[in-house]
Amino acid sequence: MIRNRKWIKGVQAAALAIAVCFSIGATDATARYEKLNHQFMCSCGCGQVLGECNHVGCPASPVQLAELKADMTNGMGDKEIMDSFAAKYGATVLAAPTTTGFNLVAWIAPFAVFLAALLGTILLVRHWSVGRKQLGEPSNTPEMDALRERIRRETGSEGSY
Amino acid sequence: MSETLGLALGCLMAIGLFLYTFWPENAFASQRQKTRLDYLLERKEQLYENLRDLNFEYRAGKYPEEDFVAQRTQLENETAQLLAEIDVLEGQ
Amino acid sequence: MATFGSLALIIGLALAAYNLFAGGVALRLIATGQQAAISPERLADTARRAGIAVFIAVTAAAFALVYAALTNDFSITYIMEHSNRALDLKYKFAALWSGQEGSLLLWCWLLAAYGFVLRLRHKTDVKLYAYAGTIFAAIQVFFLAVVNFAAPPFSLLRGTIPADGNGLNPLLQYPEMVIHPPMLYLGYVGFSVPFAFALGALMMRYPGEKWIKITRVWTLVTWLFLTFGIFLGMHWAYAVLGWGGYWGWDPVENASFMPWLTGTAFMHSVMMQEKRGMMKSWNVWLIFSTFLLTLLGTTLTRGGLVSSVHAFAQSSIATWFYVAMGVTLAICIFTYIMQRDHLRADHQLESLVSRESSFLFNNLVLLTACFVILWGTLFPILSEYVQGSKVTVGAPFYNRVAIPIGLFLLFLTGVGPLLPWRSTSLKAVKRNFIVPTIALWVTVAVCLIFGPRPLSTWFSEAGYFYALVAFAVSASVFTAIASEFLRGAGVIAKQTGKNLAAAMYLLTRRNTRRYGGYLIHIGVVIIVVGLAGAAFNKSTEKELALHDSMSVGPYTLECVGFTQDSNANYDSNYALLDVYQNGKKQFQMAPEKRVYTASQQPQTMVAIHSVLSWDLYTVFEGTNPDTGQPIIKAFLNPLVSWIWAGVVLIVGGTFIALVPSLTPATAAVKAPATATLHAEPVLKGGD
Repeated sequence: MIRNRKWIKGVQAAALAIAVCFSIGATDATARYEKLNHQFMCSCGCGQVLGECNHVGCPASPVQLAELKADMTNGMGDKEIMDSFAAKYGATVLAAPTTTGFNLVAWIAPFAVFLAALLGTILLVRHWSVGRKQLGEPSNTPEMDALRERIRRETGSEGSY
Repeated sequence: MSETLGLALGCLMAIGLFLYTFWPENAFASQRQKTRLDYLLERKEQLYENLRDLNFEYRAGKYPEEDFVAQRTQLENETAQLLAEIDVLEGQ
Repeated sequence: MATFGSLALIIGLALAAYNLFAGGVALRLIATGQQAAISPERLADTARRAGIAVFIAVTAAAFALVYAALTNDFSITYIMEHSNRALDLKYKFAALWSGQEGSLLLWCWLLAAYGFVLRLRHKTDVKLYAYAGTIFAAIQVFFLAVVNFAAPPFSLLRGTIPADGNGLNPLLQYPEMVIHPPMLYLGYVGFSVPFAFALGALMMRYPGEKWIKITRVWTLVTWLFLTFGIFLGMHWAYAVLGWGGYWGWDPVENASFMPWLTGTAFMHSVMMQEKRGMMKSWNVWLIFSTFLLTLLGTTLTRGGLVSSVHAFAQSSIATWFYVAMGVTLAICIFTYIMQRDHLRADHQLESLVSRESSFLFNNLVLLTACFVILWGTLFPILSEYVQGSKVTVGAPFYNRVAIPIGLFLLFLTGVGPLLPWRSTSLKAVKRNFIVPTIALWVTVAVCLIFGPRPLSTWFSEAGYFYALVAFAVSASVFTAIASEFLRGAGVIAKQTGKNLAAAMYLLTRRNTRRYGGYLIHIGVVIIVVGLAGAAFNKSTEKELALHDSMSVGPYTLECVGFTQDSNANYDSNYALLDVYQNGKKQFQMAPEKRVYTASQQPQTMVAIHSVLSWDLYTVFEGTNPDTGQPIIKAFLNPLVSWIWAGVVLIVGGTFIALVPSLTPATAAVKAPATATLHAEPVLKGGD
């Protein structure tokens, strides 16, 4: 019983440690800015991520980056900023689909397919290895023995490689 | 290059390639159907390779003794039957 | 020249069509044993020679286009649009693939070149080659029809001929761009060969698995070209586009990656068929899919279906490709259904703990990755159809979904080689896993001890966490493969009394394919380490006055000058930066920005200083219009050079795998004697 409690305490401690780890995110502003500007696309049509758009005289990215900075200083949350960008520039400004509505399918499908395929493969392998066919017992005639002898000689099971 | 020259060169090439394609050549390779013996010899080569591989992997420590013996017996039986058929066909 | 080129293309099409028609008729006559006025074998041989002649004709056409580019023949629309007088000679040559029509001509030419070699080597197995050659001719007919009717490269300009052309896209004016597209195309086009053989072997009910041995070299070479082409593209993106990265999950990049994934799956899976006669249907479909994906890739990027940075070549030829894909798929399905009894497996998988099952899982992961990319590429279209609005599926999506899959694949790269063929017990191989497991945990410990602080960032930042896993698994896979080498060499050393180095050499010579393959795996591991380095990228941007400085990582960059320059092809702005480390001057960098005269397009010339541990990467972002001072962006990209080093290993490993193995003296197999019995009674008549 006591051992059991110790075990539970250990798990609790581990869970707490993990929770602490995950809660101490990079909170400083530049990191957040870098992170956010990689969540958007540049809307000039160059097809690049906003933070990586480097066109000389790009009409869109400086404006969008300034807007992002302003939103951040105004204390808007990540979600609010994303919503306001999406409202202003259309849903295509978000570099990845959202996790709501039909867009969730985009995220689920890959993992669903992977899991289904994994399961299928495991079942298939099990099915095969259970129904594995045995070769019929070979005849032990002297001719066959001679052949086996020859095979062993020619495939070097006696020392060569 | 002028248009006429281009046209002339093109026609020349067409004639050349036509002649090459349809030149009455008698030394063409015949499409021999692979025989059962060819097929068996290929299989034998592959099974030998598998056996050598098995021996090597056993020595490299990938099979326990009993697995190795079982698999070698199985492969050898398969090969022996093959060799027996090859011997019959070659004897014909 | 335009007339000559157009004529050559028509001749090429006619010859390819003859090859297809005569070859098909001859094979039909032979298969049914009907009597005809001409010997079917003679007919088949004329078809083969027509195939060889196609190569001559298409070469002439390609030559005509290059000649027109070199002589500034702006009466040809294509040359006017993709070249100009001041263009460097090598880029005039590259004009052959800088636009749609030219690149399709290049495609035809490469196809013809592969076909040329294929038809010359027909004596290896005349009948199989006759089938493959005929199928190949069908592919050639399609592409030649496209360049003849849908995208003619020699169409003439209407109206007055301009004095100078529009010039080549400046992004493409970079040495690697001269070889990257042909490499990639060689890879794309090359998959037609194993496809033709696989389909041909299925159509003729080829007895045995020898066709795999015959096509192995083709598949390997093709795979090598594709791999090398993809990495050249990455290097080009890194060194030219100037955003500090090398892979942006652009639809065109994805299009080249998908056939690579299925092709890689095929190369692994086909070994099971060759060795044990397993998975025949699966392999046939893998190579069918690979070929279809090369067509789909072309359609996606050229049809304007998905938007891409590579939008240089959009047109209406997509319809042609849709039809081609539909017809190919129909033929594949039909042939498969008719001949599926021929694909019965000789053996079945015996155990979960076996090389076969590791290949199966490798296939599963590679195909899932392929699905993810296809899904991501097509999701915007699906979304528009379902919810009426387009969405973007960009890098954040792929990074989140593909990285875990990639790490799983990396894990299998190490596990596979440790497992033997057929079956064994977990107990037997357990000890082989001890050293790799130790390597895994040691790496984790080392990373945590010497890596970034606080420790929690390793787990709170997804990028760091993945990097940690990638480093640890890489170390473990590396030791697994290295220990395989050593164990094998140990066996040989014991038997021959040679030293370990000689034994390793002999081991590799004895089985070039396996150990070349392992070297490729090590290359992959090194590349993964390099990719994982991206989690620790740093960058900073600053406007620099003279003698101002900025710092990134351990370096301090001081601006010691900025100036302008111009020549016939472009005007340029550049900055001179002295780079200090630990207070000592180490080297100088000169990032540059060019504006090309002909196209008036700006272009960044990145300056990169590369060492084993990181790249210092500087970009001339522009000049501040108010002060006239340069704005410099500096990146510190850890471990990037590992990626390129890994590629070198992959190339080396592939070359080793291409060398035939030394066979032991006992392996001598008697020369096949002529006999009259058939392997399988497929033929109704004689032959």
